[in-house]
Amino acid sequence: MIPEQPVYLEDKVDEIRQSGRLAYRSTALPTWCPGCGYYSMTEGLVNALTELRIKGEDTVIVSGIGCASRFPFFMDTYGFHTLHGRALPVATGVKVANDKLTVVAVGGDGDGFAIGCGHIPHAARRNVNITYLLFDNGIYGLTKGQVSPTSATGFITPTSPFQNRDAPLNPLLMLLSYGASWVGQAYAGWPHHLTQLIRQALEHPGFSYLHVLSPCVTFDKTDRTYQNLDLAVRELDADHDSSDMAAAMRAAADTNTPTLGLYYAEKRETLGQALDLIAARAAGAQRIKRATTRHRQRKTPA
Amino acid sequence: MAKQTDIQISICGSAGDGTIAVGDIFKRAMARAGYRVIAFDHYPAEIRGFGKCISRTRISTNQVYSMKSYSDVLVSLNDLHAIPHVGEVRDYGAIIYDSAPMSAVAEGAHISGHLMPGHLPYALPIRELSELATGANRSRNIVALGFIAGLYQLPQQAFHQAIAAKFETKAPAVADTALAAFDSGFKSGSSTYKFDDVQIDHSRARKNGGEVRMMTGNGAIAHGCLEAGIETFFGYPITPATGIMERLAVEMPRRGGRLVQTEDEIAAISATIGAGYAGARAATATSGPGLALMAEMLGLGVMAEVPAVVFVSQRGGPSTGMPTKTEQSDLNLAVWGGHGDARRIVLAPTNVEGCRRCAARAFEMAEKFQVPVIVLIDLYLSNRYETVFLQGEDNFLPKNWQRVDSGAPGDNYRRYELTADGLSPRCVPGEAGGIYTATGLEHDEYGHPNDSPDVHSLMSEKRHEKLRDAMKYPGINFTKRFGDKGKIDVGLLAWGSTFGEALEAVLLAREEGIRCAAMKVVMMSPLPARPILRFCNDCQQVLVPELNYTGQFANLVSGELGRPVTRVSHATGAPMDINYLLTAIRNAAKQKLRNKTTTSNPTKA
Amino acid sequence: MPSSTHHVVLGNGIAGNHAADVIRKRDPNSRITIISAGALLFYNRYDLPDVFRGRHQWVDYLVHPPEYYESQNITLRRKTRVVELDPQTQTLSLAHRETLHYDKLLIATGGHAYIPARLLDDVGLMHSFHNFRVAMQVQNAVRKNGTVIMLGGDVMGLDLARTIIATGHRVIVALDNRTFWPHEIAQSERARYLQALESMGLDIWDHGKVDHIEAGNSKGPARQVFFEDGSEIRGDVVMPFFGLVPTVDFLATSGIDMERGILVSPQLQTARDNIWAAGDVCQIWSATSNAYRFYYGYRNVKMMGEVAAYNMTGEQSAFESTVDEALEVTSKGLLHSPFWEYD
Repeated sequence: MIPEQPVYLEDKVDEIRQSGRLAYRSTALPTWCPGCGYYSMTEGLVNALTELRIKGEDTVIVSGIGCASRFPFFMDTYGFHTLHGRALPVATGVKVANDKLTVVAVGGDGDGFAIGCGHIPHAARRNVNITYLLFDNGIYGLTKGQVSPTSATGFITPTSPFQNRDAPLNPLLMLLSYGASWVGQAYAGWPHHLTQLIRQALEHPGFSYLHVLSPCVTFDKTDRTYQNLDLAVRELDADHDSSDMAAAMRAAADTNTPTLGLYYAEKRETLGQALDLIAARAAGAQRIKRATTRHRQRKTPA
Repeated sequence: MAKQTDIQISICGSAGDGTIAVGDIFKRAMARAGYRVIAFDHYPAEIRGFGKCISRTRISTNQVYSMKSYSDVLVSLNDLHAIPHVGEVRDYGAIIYDSAPMSAVAEGAHISGHLMPGHLPYALPIRELSELATGANRSRNIVALGFIAGLYQLPQQAFHQAIAAKFETKAPAVADTALAAFDSGFKSGSSTYKFDDVQIDHSRARKNGGEVRMMTGNGAIAHGCLEAGIETFFGYPITPATGIMERLAVEMPRRGGRLVQTEDEIAAISATIGAGYAGARAATATSGPGLALMAEMLGLGVMAEVPAVVFVSQRGGPSTGMPTKTEQSDLNLAVWGGHGDARRIVLAPTNVEGCRRCAARAFEMAEKFQVPVIVLIDLYLSNRYETVFLQGEDNFLPKNWQRVDSGAPGDNYRRYELTADGLSPRCVPGEAGGIYTATGLEHDEYGHPNDSPDVHSLMSEKRHEKLRDAMKYPGINFTKRFGDKGKIDVGLLAWGSTFGEALEAVLLAREEGIRCAAMKVVMMSPLPARPILRFCNDCQQVLVPELNYTGQFANLVSGELGRPVTRVSHATGAPMDINYLLTAIRNAAKQKLRNKTTTSNPTKA
Repeated sequence: MPSSTHHVVLGNGIAGNHAADVIRKRDPNSRITIISAGALLFYNRYDLPDVFRGRHQWVDYLVHPPEYYESQNITLRRKTRVVELDPQTQTLSLAHRETLHYDKLLIATGGHAYIPARLLDDVGLMHSFHNFRVAMQVQNAVRKNGTVIMLGGDVMGLDLARTIIATGHRVIVALDNRTFWPHEIAQSERARYLQALESMGLDIWDHGKVDHIEAGNSKGPARQVFFEDGSEIRGDVVMPFFGLVPTVDFLATSGIDMERGILVSPQLQTARDNIWAAGDVCQIWSATSNAYRFYYGYRNVKMMGEVAAYNMTGEQSAFESTVDEALEVTSKGLLHSPFWEYD
C-alpha cells in the first residue's frame, strides 16, 4: 500500500507521542530484522490496546519460542516468555487464575502448528477467553530458515535441500473445525487492517484466533515476500457472513488467493463462564446433598 | 492385662463380590470406633472381569506406619482368589469362608483344603445367610463383615453408622438390606465360639475426641490442597494420581476453585505454571510418565521463579511399566529431572497424614521460595487408607507473596533482585508498578534477557541458595529418627511409603536384641544432609531400603554425603516386604560382629 | 506301593490320628488327609475335665503342635463334614459340595452321645462334653460350689464326675440302666458299685426315668429335672451320659455293612474294598464271642488305628484286645475303669 501523501518523521513521532501508544512499549528495543512483520503486529497490538483503553498491568502477553518469543519484552505489559509450543496452555493457566486479565498469546507457525499443535484444538474448544496472534511466515526464522508446517511444498531450506515434500497445513480450516469462536486473517503488509482485526479479536468474548500472514524478509527471498503477498491477498467478500461456518470454510480452503478479514465469529460460553457455572452448580449440589442427608438420617435405623 | 490392639484383616474376593466396598465399611467403622486404621487394597489391573480384589486393613490402638507382614484374619469371598493368600495368615489366626458355595467345586478348589495347621477355620454359610436375610446372595460381603464384627465383639453401632453412610446416596432399601445382612452375620459371629487368639482391646478404643477422617494418600493430598486454599488445578488422568484430581473436581468448585482437565501433562504443568505466575495457588498431579513430560516446563518454573505444586504418585516403570503396582523409581526424575541446573523442592511424605501436611505446606513453600514444589508419593501411599485425626488442626498460611514496594516505577522494578536470602519481591499481573516479563532465558535482576557470565553465575547461585532455608521451613519434620538412641548397630534410612515398613522391621529387630533405628527423610531436595549425616555417623551400618532397582535414594544420599550406604532395593511392584528387610537388618548386624572380630584379631585375616 | 496313594482318614480322634502316624511311617511318600468335623487340631479329649482345673486354652490340649502336620506332610481338613461315600468311585462328597477321591479309606468317626428318644425334646437344655468348646460351656455354666446333674452316668461321665467333685462341686447321678456303660453290672453287684460311687463323693438319685427338663428361674440353679415319679432335682447343668452311638449317618447309601456300628473283620476291613474302620465306630468280628462286638477305651482304640494302618499299607494283621475291660471296685472302695487309663 503506497500512501497518497508524504509522511514526515517529525509529524509521525509527534502523533505517536500524543496517542499514548508509547505507554505500551517498553524501553527495550526490538531485536527483529528490519522490515519484519512483527513490527506491524506490535504496532497493531499497541494500537488496539490503546483504542480499547486496556491497562498494561491488566494485560499479559504470553509467548513461546521463535521470533515471536521476545514480543513481550517490547511491550510495557506483564509478559511471560515460556517454552517452545506452550504459549497457549500457559496463557490458559493465566486466564483461569485471573479472568480479569486480558491475555494475548503470540507465536509463529512453528511454535503453534508444529510443536504446540496439540494445544490449539483444546484452547479453541474450551473457548478460553484469550487472543491468539499467530504470525505465519512459513519458516523457522530464529533458527535461521528451516522448513515449517506451513511452508509450501517444494520450498528449499537448509533442512529441505531437495525441496520440501510435505503439504502445508491449512491453519484457518483447522481452527474453524476445532471450534474456535473467532477466526480471522490479517497481513503484516496491511497494518491498519491488522490493527482493526486485533482490536476485534481482543473484544471478542472467547477464543479469538488471528492468523497474520507475513514474509520472513531475511530467510525467504523467493516465496512469501511482500511483493508476492501483496499480489496474492485480497479482502473477504463484502457480503461474507461471519456467522456462516460453511462460507468461512470455503474461503479458508482457497489458499491461492488468501483472503483477509473476519472469517467466523460466534458467541458461546467461555471457559471462565463454564468454571463459574460449575462453581455455582457445585454450591447448589451441596445444598441438594445436605437435604438428602437429612432425609436419610431420619430413615437410618439406630 | 489388656493387650493393645494391632490386628490386620484381609478380605479377598473377585471383582463384583463387593470386597473393596465391604473393606471400606470395615475401616470406616473401626475409625468411628476410635481405632487407628491403615489399609491398602489390591485391585485387578483390568477394569472388567473377575480379577482378584483384596482389602487389607490394619487396626491398632497406637499409631502404626505400615501394613503388617502377615494378616490375623482372612475372609474368603472367592476361594480361588483367596487360596493363594492363605499363607499370609499367621498361626492361630482365623480364616473365614463360605461353607455352602452355590455350586459344586472340584477337588482342591475349596479353601478348607488349603488351611495350614495353625489356622482356625470358621466355616460359615455366607451365601445362605445372605439369602435368608435379604432374599438375595448379593450381600455375602456384608454378612461376612457382620460375622467378623460379631466374632470379635466389635461395636455394632459403629458398623450400622458406617453402612448407613456408605449407602447414603442410594435408595433407602439398599441400606436396609445391607443392615439386615450385617445383623444376620453379626448374630452368627456372636454365637460362634472364638478359637483364634486374635485380640481386640475394646477399652482402649478412643472414645470421643476430635474429628477422625478415613483418607487415602490421594484423599489427604486433596484435603491438604483444600486446607491450603488451592485456587486452580490442571490435570491429566493417570494411574495412580487420578484420585487427587477426581476429589478436587468435586470439592474445589464448592469453594470457588477452578479445575481444568487438560489435553496432556505438558498442558497441565504449563497451565499450572501460568496460573502460578498469575498469582493463584496452582497445582497439578501426575505419575512418572507425566512427570517426564513435565520436566521441561518445571525448568521454566525454576528459571522464571514461579510457584507451582506438582503431586507425583509413582508406579512401576520404566515406560508404561506396571501402572497398578507401586514403586519408588521416579526419585531421580523428581529431584534432577529436566535440563540445566534446575534445583526445586521435593517433599516425600511417609504416611497419609504426611500427605495432607506436605500438600498444604507445599503451596506455602512454593510461594515463599518462588519455585515449583514436587510432592512425591507412590501408588501404595496414594491408595492406602489411614485414619487422620484432625484435632489440633494445622493452620496453613493463606496466600501471601512478597510484594513490591508501592509506587515503584515500572521499569525500575527488579523482579529478580539479588537479596541476602535470594528471595526477590514478586508481583503478579494486575498489580500496577510490578510489570515485568518472566522468561526462561537467563536474565538480569529486571528480568531482561542477559547471558553474560556474571549474570548467569550470580543468578544460578541465587536460584540454588534461596532454597537453603527451605530445610528450616516450619510445620514439617524433614527428618526424624525412631528407635534406639545413640550409637547403634544398624540404621535404616528410609523415605516415602517404605518408611513404614522400615520402622516396622526396626521394631521387630529391636525385639531380637539388635540395636537399631530408622530415620525418615521427608525432604528429598534440597537434601537435609546435616541430620542425615549425624544419623549415619551413629550407625555401624546404614541400610537404605527402597522400592526400586537402582537404589535412587541411596545414590542421592551417598552422593551428597560422600558416605557409603547399603542398598536394600526391592523392586517387585509390591510394598516393601518387612521380612526381607528384617533379614537385611539381621545380616547387617552379623556383618558388624564380623567386622569387630576382624578388627580385634588382625592376625586371622 | 505307589507313593501317590491317597490315604483318607475320616475322624480326628485317637484311632484316626494314630493310624495316620503309622501310615506315614510305613509309606513316607503317600498322601494323607485327615477329615475332621471340628475346628481344632487333634487334642486330648481325655484331658477335657481339666477345664474345671483352670486349663482354659485349647492349645494346652493339643497332642501335636501345628508343625507336626507340616513335618509329617499330613493334611488336616477341619470343619469338614462328609455327607456321602461312594465305594464304587472311591469318592467322598463333602458338605461344602467338594468331592474327594481316596485310594484307601479309614473310617474312624467314633461315636457321639446317645440321647434316649424321650429326652430329645430337651436337648437344648442339656450340656454335652464331647469337645473343647462344649466343655468350656459346661465349666462356665457351673457356678462355684454348684451342682452338675448327670443323667445315666456312663464311664466318661463318671470320669468327669471325679474331677468336678475334686474341684469343689456337687455331682448328682440320676441312675438309669445305662449307668456304668459300657460295663454291664450284674444286678447282684449293682449295690456294691453304687456304694463305690457314693464313696467317690457322687450323690445317687434313683427315681427312675426323667420326665422332662426345665430352665430354672434366674436366681436359683439354671436347670430343673422332673422325674416320672414326680420328684425333681435342681442343678446348674444337666448332662446326658447314656453311652455312645457310632457316627455312621453319612454311610446310609454307601452299601457298607452295619449293625449299630460298621461291621469289620478282625483285620478291620469292611465288606467293601479299600475301606477300613477303627475306633468306637466299628464292631469287630470276634470268633470267641461269635459276634461282632465293640471295644472301647484309649488302648483298644489306639490299637485299632495301628492295625488298620498296617493293613492299609499291605499287611494282614488281626486286632486283638489286650485290655481287661472289667469295671472294678478298688481296695479303697472306689471305682476304676481301664477306660480311664491312657498314655
